[in-house]
Amino acid sequence: MSHPIRLVDCGSVPALRSQTVFHAVAYAMTPETPDTILLVAPGEPYVSVGFHQDVDKEVDLDRCRELGIPVIRREVGGGAVYLDGNQLFCQWIFQQGRLPAMLEDRFALYVTPLVETYRSLGVQAEYRPVNDVHVNGRKIGGTGAALIGSADVLVGSLMFDFDVDTMAQVLQVPSEKFRDKVHQGLREYMTTLRRELGTPPGRDEVVRAYVDACSAALGRAVEPGPLTAAETAMAEELDGRFASDEWLFSAGGLRKHGVKIHEDVHIREAVHKAPGGLIRATAQLRHGRIADVAFTGDFTLQPGSLVASLERELRGTPLEAAPVGACIDRFYDRYRPQSPGLEPGDWSEALIKLAASPETGP
Amino acid sequence: MGIWAGCEIPEELYYDVERDVWVRLHEDGDVTLGMTDAAQTRAGKLAHILIKKVGKHIERGRSAATVESAKWAGPLPSPLTGTVVANNAESFRADVLVANRDPYGEGWVVRLAPELWEDESAHLVTGAEAVERYRERIREMGIHCYRCEE
Repeated sequence: MSHPIRLVDCGSVPALRSQTVFHAVAYAMTPETPDTILLVAPGEPYVSVGFHQDVDKEVDLDRCRELGIPVIRREVGGGAVYLDGNQLFCQWIFQQGRLPAMLEDRFALYVTPLVETYRSLGVQAEYRPVNDVHVNGRKIGGTGAALIGSADVLVGSLMFDFDVDTMAQVLQVPSEKFRDKVHQGLREYMTTLRRELGTPPGRDEVVRAYVDACSAALGRAVEPGPLTAAETAMAEELDGRFASDEWLFSAGGLRKHGVKIHEDVHIREAVHKAPGGLIRATAQLRHGRIADVAFTGDFTLQPGSLVASLERELRGTPLEAAPVGACIDRFYDRYRPQSPGLEPGDWSEALIKLAASPETGP
Repeated sequence: MGIWAGCEIPEELYYDVERDVWVRLHEDGDVTLGMTDAAQTRAGKLAHILIKKVGKHIERGRSAATVESAKWAGPLPSPLTGTVVANNAESFRADVLVANRDPYGEGWVVRLAPELWEDESAHLVTGAEAVERYRERIREMGIHCYRCEE
């Protein structure tokens, strides 16, 4: 394909505009519109929620209000995410038919320049199909795809730094224990340029590397260009729509449970009511195993220090009935705890319910 | 029934090939719409769908539903202008993968009373022509269809 790709570097823009601008290029697309790569960063932090997410079930709106963080819904799927100026959004808005038809191939193409950019900066990033970038098992940024108007859109980011503390605060979670687990999961399984390099490189250096990598991956020239008047007008129109409560609260699809930190790491919570009290299990699951678990509730397990022992014993156990049951039986044999109204099977039941929690989106 | 690269293309249906939507014309003049086999394959397993409510008027080209899979989101554009007379939200609530399993049957999305069938159906294709157009499209795109088993 000989047509050059238009590069629009918007720099730093208000939070709302960092979302509306790529929607605007897509909605204003005509057959003459060049395929476009948009680079943009938000001037202030915000929470972006997925197209079909039920906002007040996903985001702690009171906490966001306290922190002065706006919440903006996008027309791209996936989960709620905290965004700020430490991320450079790389948005592709292409004519239909110019990108691979199958999503797996489309993501492989989109992710390649992200990976190459990190590598050129000395970070050993790898493409993790279908749509992730990992560095030594940690996820760096997220990506998504959509058809918006008549445009094929791909979104993702280059992560200079990430505010784990605020991300963990703004999500709606079933308990504070769960919030701790989310926080811990983000800290363990996400990474950034700052984490990998100590000091993140300058924006200009990163942009140069990314643009070169895009040109190489797509086999086309990438040339800077401005937004058209129609695109700017559309962005202004969408600013109004995206800022409205009507838009923010209009989705309300199916409920997603749990929080996915990355493809293999999930935070889940389950409750089991036993005769001796309620057991709430909050766990980090990794590759189908219990990476970490915390029990809370109004049960009695004596001596009290044994709760922590049980939690420790369970680490690494596959989340399946047989190994979980065997682990708990071993624990009862070894420590002979007093747990009135609680059988070993009650702990197993709480844990197995974790596995039955529905899968969450990206 | 035409089958190409695993993609079923029932010949009794009408298709908007560009928008990848099938249309079934009923005896009472209503039409049902849904995702084609190629469309459900490209989207992947659905995670959410939000379908326009009964009574809603839809212009040709505007979305009759928005669809989200694990990795993609987009509209199901209506190839016809009309008013929604029924939607299949109930089936998707019971099984969000219904269109991935049975795109032309249980996985229908919306039923419309079309207003401009005579004019607008001119851009739809059916029968052998539809199979041929889809073969071409599937070949160009390198699609191989698959259905959800579990």
